[in-house]
Amino acid sequence: MKLKLPHMHRTMTVHLIAVFLGLAAGAVFMISTGNNPFAGYAYLFKGALMNYERIGNTLATATPLIFTGLSVAFAFNTGLFNIGASGQLLAGGLCATAVGLTVVLPKPLLLLLMLLAAIVGGGLWGFIPGFLKALFNVHEVVATIMMNWIAYWVVNYTVPAYFKGEFLETESRKIPDIASLRVPWLTELLDGSYLNLGFFIAIFVSLVIWVILKKTVLGYELKAAGFNRHAAEYAGMKVNRNIVLSMTIAGALAGIGGLSLYAGYAVNIQIGILPNQGFDGIAVSLLGANSPIGVLFTALFFGILHSGKGFMNAMTEIPPEIGETIIAILIYFAATKILIERFLDKMNTRFVNRISVQTGEVIEKGGN
Amino acid sequence: MENPPIIEMKGIRKGFPGIVANDDITITLQKGEVLALLGENGAGKSTLMSILFGLYRPDRGTISIKGKEVQISSPTQANDMGIGMVHQHFKLVHNFTITENIVLGLEPRKGLGMDLESASKRIKQLSEHYGLNVDPDEKIEDVSVGMQQRVEILKMLYRDAEVLIFDEPTAVLTPQEIQDLMKIMKNMIDEGKSIILITHKLKEIKAIADRCTVIRRGKLIGTVDVADTSTEAMAEMMVGREVSFTVDKEDREVDKKVLEIQGLNVINRRGVMGVKDFWLDVYGGEILGLAGVDGNGQTELVEALTGLTRVESGKILINGKDVTHSNIRERIESGLAHIPEDRQKRGLVLDYSVEDNFILENYGDDRFNTYGFMNRGAIRENSEAIILDFDVRAGQGSDTPARSLSGGNQQKAIVGREISHNPDLLIAVQPTRGLDVGSIEYIHKRLIEQRDSGKAVLLVSLELDEILDLSDRIAVISHGELIGLVNADEIDENEAGLMMAGVAKGSKS
Amino acid sequence: MKKALIVLFALALVFGGLVSCKKKAAEAPEVTVEKLKVGMVTDAGTIDDKSFNQGTWEGILRASAEGTVSEKYLKPTGTTEADYVKEIGNLYDAGYKFIVTPGFKFETAIFAAQTKYPDARFVLIDGIPHPGDWNAVVGDNTVSIFFAEHESGFLAGVATALQLGEGEAGFIGGMEIPPVQKFNWGFQQGLAYANDNLDTNVLIKAENIIYQGTFSEVAAGQQLGAGMFDKGVDVIFCAAGGVGLGAINEAKARAKKNEDVWIVGVDVDQYAHGIYEGDKSIILTSAMKYIDVAAYDMIQAEIEGNFPGGQILTMDSTNAGVGIPPGNPNLDSSVENKVADVFNLVKSGSIVVSAEQGNLVK
Repeated sequence: MKLKLPHMHRTMTVHLIAVFLGLAAGAVFMISTGNNPFAGYAYLFKGALMNYERIGNTLATATPLIFTGLSVAFAFNTGLFNIGASGQLLAGGLCATAVGLTVVLPKPLLLLLMLLAAIVGGGLWGFIPGFLKALFNVHEVVATIMMNWIAYWVVNYTVPAYFKGEFLETESRKIPDIASLRVPWLTELLDGSYLNLGFFIAIFVSLVIWVILKKTVLGYELKAAGFNRHAAEYAGMKVNRNIVLSMTIAGALAGIGGLSLYAGYAVNIQIGILPNQGFDGIAVSLLGANSPIGVLFTALFFGILHSGKGFMNAMTEIPPEIGETIIAILIYFAATKILIERFLDKMNTRFVNRISVQTGEVIEKGGN
Repeated sequence: MENPPIIEMKGIRKGFPGIVANDDITITLQKGEVLALLGENGAGKSTLMSILFGLYRPDRGTISIKGKEVQISSPTQANDMGIGMVHQHFKLVHNFTITENIVLGLEPRKGLGMDLESASKRIKQLSEHYGLNVDPDEKIEDVSVGMQQRVEILKMLYRDAEVLIFDEPTAVLTPQEIQDLMKIMKNMIDEGKSIILITHKLKEIKAIADRCTVIRRGKLIGTVDVADTSTEAMAEMMVGREVSFTVDKEDREVDKKVLEIQGLNVINRRGVMGVKDFWLDVYGGEILGLAGVDGNGQTELVEALTGLTRVESGKILINGKDVTHSNIRERIESGLAHIPEDRQKRGLVLDYSVEDNFILENYGDDRFNTYGFMNRGAIRENSEAIILDFDVRAGQGSDTPARSLSGGNQQKAIVGREISHNPDLLIAVQPTRGLDVGSIEYIHKRLIEQRDSGKAVLLVSLELDEILDLSDRIAVISHGELIGLVNADEIDENEAGLMMAGVAKGSKS
Repeated sequence: MKKALIVLFALALVFGGLVSCKKKAAEAPEVTVEKLKVGMVTDAGTIDDKSFNQGTWEGILRASAEGTVSEKYLKPTGTTEADYVKEIGNLYDAGYKFIVTPGFKFETAIFAAQTKYPDARFVLIDGIPHPGDWNAVVGDNTVSIFFAEHESGFLAGVATALQLGEGEAGFIGGMEIPPVQKFNWGFQQGLAYANDNLDTNVLIKAENIIYQGTFSEVAAGQQLGAGMFDKGVDVIFCAAGGVGLGAINEAKARAKKNEDVWIVGVDVDQYAHGIYEGDKSIILTSAMKYIDVAAYDMIQAEIEGNFPGGQILTMDSTNAGVGIPPGNPNLDSSVENKVADVFNLVKSGSIVVSAEQGNLVK
C-alpha cells in the first residue's frame, strides 16, 4: 500500500491543477465580458455554500451526478463507453416512481422496493446494449444512445397514460411523502433544503463500487477485459458475459440516480426531458479519473458549480448564458489533465536529474 | 585528418524518473558506413536514437552534424537536417496508397489540388534506384509487412535523408525479407548514404555493419570494428558475461501421448480453410517444433488448440480427453498452457501490475479468492515466487505495471506464469521473438527443463535456428497442411527450408 | 481527497471576503431612485425562444425602459420543481423580490415559493399555484394569469378562412395539454364560423390535426409539416414551440420554390420568423397571447401599489390580452377590418367561443 500513496497523491494534484486552470480560464472569460472574476467566483461559491440550505441543495444537486458518474466510470473501467446514463436514469426513475405511486408499504420497505425497482429498470437499460454488444457486436455507444431515446419515449407514453398528475401536464403525480427519499429531520436540519437519503445511498454505493473494482475477483475480471479484451479472452475469462454484467451494473447505478433525482431531488417524474445528468456523468467520470472516490468528489464540485451559478448570475451582471459557458470552459479545462500530467512528468524528470547530477549518483533501471 | 564524421553525439545523458537511460554516451557515424548500435532490450539504444531524431532532448551532451554543433528539437527538424528514421512500429495510414503515405506532410501542390502524379513518378524512380521494388499506387492495407517497411524507407529517401536510422528492422521480417533488406541497405551505402542500425541480432551485424557500438544499461561499453571482432566477443560485451549459443540437451525417451490432433480443419478469419486435415501427436518428454513460413496456418492451428477459435471438424485430445469443444478455461484446467505469439496483445494486461498478471488464468482459484475478494497475500507470494524463479526484473517488484517491463522481462513473466501452472502441454509460439540473447538463452533453458521433466512442448516458431536447436521432432506446415514430420537429427537447415517452401520430404515419425 | 474540499472551501472564503469588502465600499453612493427589482426565471427554452420566455422578458424590458425597474433573468439547470425554486431563491436572495415566471411548469414551484418567501411577489403566467393536486392556492402575494387561447385561435381561424377563401387547413400541436388544445378548438370554431357566416370554404380534416408530443422536436415538426403540405394542406396552425419552428422551416423551403403554403403562428407575432426572401414571410398571421402585456401590466400595478395579489386573472378579448397582431402584411386590409369586427363581437359576448372540445373533430 505504501507504494501506491504517491500515485494517489499525484492523481489528486493533477486534478486540483486541472480544476484551478479551469477556474482561471473561466476568470479570463469573465474579465473579457467585463465582469469581475473575484466577485463572480465568490458569488458562485457563496451561492452553493453560504448557508445550510444551500449546502444541502448543493449536495442534493450532486447526488444524481454521483450515480451517473459512477455508472460511466464503472463501464469505462471495464472498457465500455456508456453514453446511456440518461436513459438508464430515466428507466430507473420511472420504475421507482411507478412503485412509489402504486405500492402501499411502510416507508423503509417501500423505499427499499423502489430502490430495487430503480436497479431493475436502470439495469435492464444497461443490460440490453451489453447483450447486443456481446452477441452481435453492436457498438455500445450506438446502442446506449438509442436506449436513451427509447427511455425518453417510454416515459413520454407511460407517465401520461398511467401516472399523470391530475393538475399537471408534463409530470407524473406527486410522489407521496412516504415514498420520498426526503425525510423531515434532514430537511429541517438543513433549513428546508432538498438534501435527501439519496446522498447517503450515493456515498455508500461509491464505496461499494470502489471495493468491487479494487478488492474483488469480479472487479479484477471486469477490469482485465476493459484493459485488454484479447488478454482476457486468452486467459479464458467469459468476456461476453462480463460485458453484459458490466453494462447491467452501470445501468443499475444510473438507475439509482433516477430514484434519487425523481423521488428525492424532485417530487415527480417529467416527460419530454432527457436528463442532463446522464451526460454530465461522462464529464464527472472523466475528471474523477474513473475512480469511484474521484467521481464522488468531482460530482460534489459539479454540484457546487450548478448550484452556485444562479446566485452568481443574480448578483453580478454575468448573464446566465455566460454562466453556462464558464462552467463548460471549466469542465473543458478540467478535462485537460493529460497535459498537466505530462507537464508534471517533465518537472519531475528535471528534478530527479538535478539531484542525480548534484550527487553524481546514477540511478539504475530495475532491470533489463 | 579525414572529413568530420557526418554525425557525432558526444557525452549524451538522458534521465527519466527513476532511471538514467543514457549515461555519457558518445557515438560517431562516418559517411558511407553502417554503424550498428548493439544492446539488450532496454539498454538505451532507442532513447539515444530518439534524441538524435528530436523526440527527446538530452540533459547533457552535444550533437554535431558534419562537424557543426546543432540542436534538434523535433523530428521535422531532424528530417530537414537529413536524418530519417525507420521505426520499429510503422507509422502508416492503412487506407492510403503508398504514394499518399510517402508524401504525407509535404504534399506537392499543383494549384489547389495535389500533384500526386509527379510524386508517384519520383517514388518509382527512387524505388528502382535502390532496388526496393515498390508499386506506388498500391494501398498499404494490401501489401506485406516487408513492403510496408520499404515504404517507410522510401519516405526517408523521398525526404532526401542522408542518414537513415533503422530501429530493429528485422524483428518483423521473414528470412527472405531480411536478406532483401540487407541488399537494399548495401545499395544505399553504395549511393553514399549512412546508416545506423539498432539491433541485438549479431548475425545481422556481422553481415552488414562496418563498426559496432555496444551499450549496456545506459552506458557505453565500447565501439569495435565488426570485421575484427567475433560474434561471441560482441555478445559478451552486450550481455556482460559469456554467452553460450548452443543448447545443451540430453536424449531421453518420450512418455505418453499428451496432445492428439486428429484430422483438424479450421476456417480462418477470411473464411478460407486455414488448417486442412491436420494430424499430429505430441508426447510427454519431447519438444515438437512446428516450422513454417509465416501465415501458413500456424496461427489458426494454435488458436484452435487453445480454444480461441472454433474448430470446423476434427478432434483435439489432451491427455486422452476430448477438448475439441471445450472453452478456454476448461482446456487450461486440462493441463494446457499457452505462450502467445503477441505478448502485448494477448499475453499481458499491460495496465495491471506484474502480480496481477501472474494470476490472469487462475485468479478464481481458492488460493487467490476468498469469498469473492482477492487474497492479496497469496497473490503476492505467488508473484514473488515467479519473479525469483524466472528472473523477471521489475523496478518496483510485484507492483510494477507490466507496461513498464522491458520486452524480455514481459516475455519472461509470461513464460514464468505459464510454466508455473505446471502444464502437461505447453504451446510456445515465437517465445523469443524480439528478445535479446540473454533472455533467449534463458527461455530456451526453461523450455528444455519442461521437456526434461516429462511434459510435452509444442514449439511454434518462424526462426528455423530456434526450431532446429530445441526440437526433438520437427513438423513442417505449409498452406495449412502438415507436409513433413521428421526427427530433428535427420534434417538440416536446407532440407527444412525446402519443406517450408512446400516441398515434402518422406514423412517419418 | 479531503484536501480538495478544504482548498475549495478556502477559495470560497477568500473570494467571499474580497467581495464583501468591495461591496461595502460600493454601497454608499447608491442612494438614488429606488427601482423595483424584477426577476424572471426562464422555462426550459432560451430567453429568445420567440415564445413564452421572450414574451415575458419583453414585457419586463418595456417596464425597464421607463426607468422604474431593474431586471434580471435566471436560467434553471433543470426543469424540476427543485431547480425552479432554487433559482427563485437566488433571485430573492439577490433582492429581486418581484418575480415573474412563464408557463404552467412553474405551478408547483410557485406554490412552494409563495409561502417560503411571503414578502416577495409572484406573477405566474399561464398557470395556477398548486402542490401537485387539486388544492390550488393563489397566495396573497401571487397573481395567476390565464389566457383565452380559444379566442385567440378563433380569431386566427377567422382571419385564415377570410384570407384564403377556399382551401384546406391543418393543425400541429406540441403536447396535448389544455392551452394547446384550446388553440386548436378555437381555431376550428373560427374556420367554421367563417365558413358559415362569411362565405368561405376552408376545411380541416381530423387526420390533419396532430399533437407531436413535445415542444422541442424541430425535425419532427418539419416532417409533419411536409406530410400535410404534400396531402394538399394550404395552411398549418402551429401551436407547438420548436416543433412549430420545424414546420415553419418546411414552409419557407417550399415558399422559395413558389409553392403557396402558409403557417399561422402562435403566442407571439411570428411574422419575422417566417421571412424567407426580402420581407416576404410565410406567416399568415399569429394567434397571439399578449404575454408581454400581462407581465408589463403586473409590474405597473405593483409600482402603483395595487398589485392584485391572490387573484386569478384571465387575459382575453375584453382586456386586449389575445388576438392577432396589430399589423399583418399577409392579410388584406379588408380581412383585417373584418377580423376586427369579429373581435368586437367576441369582446361584447355576441360570439361565444367554447373552450371545450364539444363536438369538434379532435
